[in-house]
Amino acid sequence: MHLTDHLTDVQLNEYLDEAASERAQIEAHLISCGECSARLTDLQALFSELESLPDLALTRSLAAPFTSPRSLPVQLPAWFPLTVTLQAAIALAALVIAAPFAIRLFPLPAAPSLGRVFIQLQTQWTAWLDRLPAASQFKMPILPSLSFELSSLFLMSALVVVSMLWLVGNGLLLRDQIK
Amino acid sequence: MNTPTDRDLILKARRGESGAYGELVTRHQVAVFNVCYRILHERGEAEDLAQEAFIRAYDRIHTFDVDREFSPWIRRVAANLCLNHLESQKVTTELDDERDADQAQRPESVVETNERNGQIRGALASLPANYRLVIELRHFQEMSYDEIAVQLNIPLSDVKSHLFRARKILAEKLHAPD
Repeated sequence: MHLTDHLTDVQLNEYLDEAASERAQIEAHLISCGECSARLTDLQALFSELESLPDLALTRSLAAPFTSPRSLPVQLPAWFPLTVTLQAAIALAALVIAAPFAIRLFPLPAAPSLGRVFIQLQTQWTAWLDRLPAASQFKMPILPSLSFELSSLFLMSALVVVSMLWLVGNGLLLRDQIK
Repeated sequence: MNTPTDRDLILKARRGESGAYGELVTRHQVAVFNVCYRILHERGEAEDLAQEAFIRAYDRIHTFDVDREFSPWIRRVAANLCLNHLESQKVTTELDDERDADQAQRPESVVETNERNGQIRGALASLPANYRLVIELRHFQEMSYDEIAVQLNIPLSDVKSHLFRARKILAEKLHAPD
């Protein structure tokens, strides 16, 4: 920096923030340059005005929720969350150990195919309609038979996929509110 | 009887002594509210976020290092909350009218001071939110450029440019001829 050049705004700001690397040169320039000295004084005045801004008063006490012991949330010790993880790990281990015994003691019933259940329901429904005198004139449309079996596994998978999509969609929509 | 220090109150609050944390809040609530107000410029929101800052601090009271000063820490918690709030809102709010309160009953010099304070608050409120934040952290929380960069997660060059531009805008607004 030449002593004859005027100081830049950056230099003046950094000087007042005590972040200027060339402090001695800036001070030497300020002694000899009235213009830069006046700019520094203006900037100092702004600093003083900002820092002397008085605090505003509150309209309500923020201490109120903390003065009553009942209103204070229970303070858990720092190690407490670790016990939750430990409990979960123990529960999982117990489940894994107990699973083979539980299957032996309580064998799973064979799950009926959902497709068959629907067909049975439809048969019962048409049989009930046939018994109605008024409905005897009316012919129920026969549902087209599917060329493939809708297995319960397929229906369950579809249900899980739709639920996941619904959850992800809601999560995306509500992410700002969750923050 | 000696007034308990912040450290004493924190230790008492940790032991579950009722009222100790309340007293700590009473001591620092105005400073914390003003941090929020200078950043948000909306009284209701500032009070709510100041309250939230004390709740967050209470949740972390067991991990707080009692050898540190409580005041700078709680003010930084409040500034962070306001930063998150501004990021989630992405809107600018109007300045509350705090300037003319009780001016009719006060001496002329007090009215003039209030008027000037109102002008400064108005000039601060007119700044973009990111400029207000650096002004708050540098002038009111006395953080260095590096600390501000870490706190706001922005480059050092951005800290300087935001700060210097903010001061330029403030100077133009406050020293402009009427």
